[in-house]
Formats: sequence, C-alpha cells, structure tokens
Amino acid sequence: MNHTLRVLYHMVKADFLERVRRYSFLVILAGALYLAYGVIAEKVWILVGDGYRGVYNSAWIGMLMAICCSTFLSLCGFYVVKNSVERDSTTRVGRILAATPMRKEFYTVAKTVSNFAVLASMVLVLMAAAVAMQWLRPEARPISLWKLWSPFLLIALPAMFVTGSLALLFETLPVLRGGVGNVIYFFVWTFGLAAGAESSFDDPAGIGILEISTRRAMERMNPGGGKNSAFSLTIGGEHASRTFLWNGVDWTLHVVAWRLTWVAVGLGVALLASVFFHRFDPARESIKGKKAKEKNKNTAVDDLSLTVEPAQPKLGYAALTPLGPRGHSRFARLVLSELSLMVKGLRWWWYAVAAGLLVAEFVSPTPQAREGVLLAAWIWPTLLWSQMGCRESRYATQSLIFSAESVLYRQLAALWTAGIVVALVTGAGTGLRLLVSLDWQAVAAWFAGALFIPSLALALGVWSGSSKLFEALYTVWWYVGPLHQLPSLDFVGGSRASSSPGLYLILAAGLLLASCLGRRRQVAYG
Amino acid sequence: MKLTIDHVSKRYGAHTLALEDFSLELGPGVLGLLGPNGAGKTTLMSILATITRPTSGTIRWNGTDLAAHPNAIRSVLGYLPQDFGVYPNLDAVEFLEYLAAVKGLDSATARRRIDELLNLVNLTEVRKRLLGGYSGGMRQRIGIAQALLNDPSLLIVDEPTAGLDPEERVRFRNLLSDLSGERIVILSTHIVSDVEATATDIGLISQGRLVAHAAPEDLLAAVEGKVWEWVMPSSELNAAKHQYLISNTARRSDGVHVRLLSSQPPPGTSPVAPTLEDAYLFCLSEHRSGVAA
Repeated sequence: MNHTLRVLYHMVKADFLERVRRYSFLVILAGALYLAYGVIAEKVWILVGDGYRGVYNSAWIGMLMAICCSTFLSLCGFYVVKNSVERDSTTRVGRILAATPMRKEFYTVAKTVSNFAVLASMVLVLMAAAVAMQWLRPEARPISLWKLWSPFLLIALPAMFVTGSLALLFETLPVLRGGVGNVIYFFVWTFGLAAGAESSFDDPAGIGILEISTRRAMERMNPGGGKNSAFSLTIGGEHASRTFLWNGVDWTLHVVAWRLTWVAVGLGVALLASVFFHRFDPARESIKGKKAKEKNKNTAVDDLSLTVEPAQPKLGYAALTPLGPRGHSRFARLVLSELSLMVKGLRWWWYAVAAGLLVAEFVSPTPQAREGVLLAAWIWPTLLWSQMGCRESRYATQSLIFSAESVLYRQLAALWTAGIVVALVTGAGTGLRLLVSLDWQAVAAWFAGALFIPSLALALGVWSGSSKLFEALYTVWWYVGPLHQLPSLDFVGGSRASSSPGLYLILAAGLLLASCLGRRRQVAYG
Repeated sequence: MKLTIDHVSKRYGAHTLALEDFSLELGPGVLGLLGPNGAGKTTLMSILATITRPTSGTIRWNGTDLAAHPNAIRSVLGYLPQDFGVYPNLDAVEFLEYLAAVKGLDSATARRRIDELLNLVNLTEVRKRLLGGYSGGMRQRIGIAQALLNDPSLLIVDEPTAGLDPEERVRFRNLLSDLSGERIVILSTHIVSDVEATATDIGLISQGRLVAHAAPEDLLAAVEGKVWEWVMPSSELNAAKHQYLISNTARRSDGVHVRLLSSQPPPGTSPVAPTLEDAYLFCLSEHRSGVAA
C-alpha cells in the first residue's frame, strides 16, 4: 500500500470509528432498520401506474430498500455526517493536521470518503436486513442475492457518496456551515428529489432508472394500456390493489456508467470543497469571528498594551460593591437575559424580514395569514429556537452555569419562556387577528403552536446537545405537517380540519417535562 | 464557616478510581491543592462545585449535606473551572450580566460589580470587545471575574493561572491574598509557586488520595536537613539521577549544581534551605514508595 493510500486509510478509519461510536449513529441506524421493517410490513411502499406494486421478490425488496436509503438516508445521513471538519476544529486535532504536509484536496477527499464510509455502513446493515426481510415475507422465493443487493450497490451507494460530499461542501462553505445550511439542505434535498423524478436523466437518488425499468415491466405486462406512468414512494395512505412481476433493473454498461458518474460528481464536489476549506486557520474558521475582529479593530486595544499596566489592581477586592439581598424574584431579568442571548449576533436583515412578515400577518386576510404568512413567520426563527437547551454544551459553559443556585428550574424555565416570547412576537399578527375574529378554536391552535415549537426545540437541544436535530426535524415537520396541512402533524393549525390544539398542548407539556428530565441528568444535583 | 469532605470516592467506569476515600475539613483561609497531573484535583473541584456527584461519601457545608441540599453551597459558591467556554458573540459586560442573572443578582448591584471586577482583572479597556476575539489569558481573567460576581464565601479555582502571563499571574496571586479572610478559597494547581505565594494550608493529592494536609511551614519542616546541593561534572549527572531524588539542576562554569533530597548527605554535598517544591517532591516520592511497597 503506498503512502498516500495508507494515510487515507488511517484518516478514514479514525474518523469512522470516532463517529460510529456515537449515540447519534445508533439512533439513525435504528431509524434505518425501522424503515426496512416498514418496507416488509407494508408501511412504506412504491406505487406504480394505476395502483400496482411489485411482487415481493428479491428485485422488488432490494429496490424498495435501496430507494429508501437513497432518499431518506440521504436526508438524515447528511445531518449525521455533517460534522467531520467541525469536530477536527473543536477537538483542535485539525490544527495538528494543518501543521503536516497534507494537501487541502487530500483532506477534503479523505473526509468525503469518511462520510461515505459512515453512510455506507448503514447501507451494509440494511443489505443484511434485506435478506432477513425477504425470508420473513415469503411472497416470492428463492432469494437472489444479486437482484437483492445490486440496487444497494448501484443506486444507494453512489447516492451516499454524493450525500457525503455535499455534507463536506456545506461544512467548508462559511454561509452553509451552521444552522442556515441545515435548513437549506432540506430544501435542496426536496427539490433535488422532485427535479430528479421529473428529469429524463439519471438523478443521484436513482429514481429515474427505477421508474423507467418498472414502467417497461408494466408495458410488457399490459402492452399499450399503461398510460399512467406514476411512480411514487409512499408512507402510509392507500395500499396497492394489484401486483405485477418486476425482475429488476437491466444493469447495462450505460446504466452502470451513469451511476458511477455520481461518484465522480461527489469527488468533484469534494475537490470544490477544498477551495473553501480554511485549513484550520483561526482567522478563517468562523465568519462571526472574522466579523468580531473587524468590529474590534477600531475599539479594542492590542492585548500587548495590557502588559504595560501596573501589576497592582486599580481597585482592591474589599472595595467592591457589596451584594444586596438576593432572592428568587429575578426571573423576569433572567428571561430578558436569555432572550438577549438568543438574538445576539443577528443582523439587521433578520429583523427586517421578521418585521416584514409581522406586517404581512396584519395586512393579509385572516385565512391567508393563518395558512401562509404565519408558516413563514414561524420557520424564520428556526435558528434562534435551535440554540435552546444546547447552547451550554456547544460553548462549554455548563460548569459556569450548572453550578448556579436553582439552575434546573430557573434557567430552564427562563429559556423556555424566552422561546415562547419569540414565537408569540413573530406570530403576533396572526394571533391578534384570530383574537379579534373570536375564532377560539383557531386561537387555541395558534397558542398551542407557540408553546409547542420552543418546547420541541428545548427538549431536542437538551437531549441531543446539538442544534442540528431540531433544525432538521423541525424543517421536515414544518414541510410535511403545516405546509401540507396534514392532520395531526399540523402544529400551526393552518385549517380547522388539520389543527389539533389539544394534542400540541399536551405534547408541549410532555416536551417540557422531557427537557427538565434531560437537564436533571446534566446537572449532578437536580 | 466549614466545609467537610467525608470519605469521598469517585469512580469512572469499572476501572478508574479518580478519588479514593478522601477526607478533609476546611475553615476560612486559602487551601493550596497540589498534585501531579491526573491526581484527582479536578474531580474533587468538580464534586465540590456540585457539577459531579461522588460515588460515595458525603460533603457538608456548615453541616448541610450537599446531596440533599446542593443549593446551600451553590448560593455562596464562586467557581472557576479548569476548562470553560464563553459565548463568543457577547462582550465581557454582556457575558457577566448574563451570569449575574443566572446567579440571581439584582441588576443595579450586578452592573456596578461587573465594572469593578473588570477593573480588578484589568479588562476595562476591552470590556466592549466580543469574547470571541479574546486571547486565552483574557478569557481566563473573565473566568476569574465571573467567579467573584456573587462575593462567594467558597471560592474554588482550578488551575487559575493557566494561560496568564507572569504579570497577570502576580496580579492574581495578590487578588487571592486579598480574598482570604472570612471565606474558604480552594486553589488547585500543579504550579508550586502559586501555592507558595498564597496558601495558608496545603493539601497534597496523589492517585486520588490525600497524601498530606498541613501548613506550609510544617511541610517545610518535614524536609529540613534533607535537601542538599552537589556540584558535579555533567558526566556524573545521569548516575546521580538514578540514585537520588533530584529537585533541580543548573549548569554553571564549575559544573552542574544539583539539588537533591536525601535523608543522608552524599559525600561532597552541602545542606541548603528547603523550598515548598522540595517538600512537595519529597512527600510524593514517599507516598509512591509506600504504595509500591
């Protein structure tokens, strides 16, 4: 093994082991396995043409599970692996690497391969699960390993490579590195899948190839009759009424070359990421840091000048202002502090957009404000809410804060209240209109939403220690539930039919309780 | 005012015993907690600051058990951890105001104390600079300021001078001396000179156990007549290192001046006055010999 490959191997291995030993990996893996179970239990299926599904043979099960990987895993997996550069930065290992002769291109390619290795390990687990699944569902025998596994190898794995490279690109681009990138990726993913399904070219998720192959099988079964060429991956909803036999994709050289092209595209993305990669230069690591430096240029004295001051303090400790009587009545001040911490660093345009949305809530007709503008107003502060509950671990301030008196209830309650204030203020236009119209059911739904969102953020932040889980889950939930007014998932309550204020009030209370339990776990003495 | 640590042990996992049957009773004054890396100092500090629970044993503050009433100590505690973070988008004043709110201080007093504390730790000039732009030493001074916000009766500082330049280190030592009086200060460090300058009591900790707890004078008395200086050619230094416990060496024109600890004077040596560093090395060596035996 030559030197470069050996270094690549060790970098990928170290990174891989570090990540698969994390709790988040197991959670996503469990989710992926549940998805695999969903395939066999017919909770997830593909509908072709006029309500057809394939007979559960090796080809169909392999295709179904592979497409679940290339769609769902490319979304969840992105958030799992989008931390490889960040981790090297926070652990300071990056600075050690930066002092070696390693080239930036090599680093970004190695990190992409490492991202891919993590995602591929999940695919491998699902490949093994696929065998078990077909054995458990004896609709068609025998098990053909090539037909079962080829979609994983040629559909899912290239999709995982693209996902891994995109995660790295997002990490190296300063604008996309944080929460904004997490939210944007969801929309990139959504529109990417939609565009791929419409396109006549092969898409990273491989939907096009499978659609063409299943359509041909339908045409063979029913020549001239298959006018409906629908191909949809479905969770829940209507089951297939008829079956057809599909024996898998004809893996011609052309098709295989298309799929391998996506690996080349992933490599290209990794090389592109090297252009933006900061090589752990502290001056380039954070946009905020850069801005802070610029801001400080005019106001701050150089650190060196501090050393020429006399060694004796200007003021002795005994001369400090004595403390007044302390009590527990400072809750409002703590809420204000939490609120100020939450909005700290926001630029003027953030407020401009929030104010614009608030005005739009006031001036739009009530139904439009409730179904449309409020949704935008409550997706806009996602990155404010996502800091809740995890700020202490993110900035390593736990030991300073968790040693304070009554911290479990006072600080957590203040943080929760601050999150609710953000929801109430940004959604105030709609709330007031609903109050004026005396539509109490809608007011209850609006209020339940305002309680539910920060409660969800707080619980996920406390338990995951990261803002990412809320950013990903909330965006997906917002898209699936409120935007499509899906009953029981619509936490905003956009319409009478879809709103369930009682459910979301109960959920908010449950999530608050979960936050308290999570924080109790973090604080040695509750 | 009394802090009682009673048979406290802390175990991480099945094999790591960070603290073992640790007992100590403290009254007002500065306790310098000395020990090598990995001795268990930070674990003890973390337990006293109510960040970590001990596996066994009890800690009492003025007779109140912390396991049942952690707020008894939290309300009077100032804690500077060894590793801590700051919010990079806040300036010094905003950060301290936030922590003052968390500690339940009223805003008028907090504002005045923050100004005064920033002056005390010499950060007034950069009070409006975002913390993300602070150097390591400046962050450490912010840590010192936050620990003093609530005028603590119990001040726990873990490696407080790490990252400070020599001048700031002297300033901090002076501050610690100012602080002593009607409060308990626990200063954990492996820098003997920090302890030498400020501590009224010294605790030596090694391998999770309390090796010694005494006044500095008593520790020095224990090595009186056991510290020697030996001038030798540099070629003999390696052999001497194998034979004796050496606390310092200095190369001069007449050879290497070796400071060593021994009950019996080696030939050609002259007695010298012991320092706290000598006492520290001697106690640790005795403890390790005892454990090995």
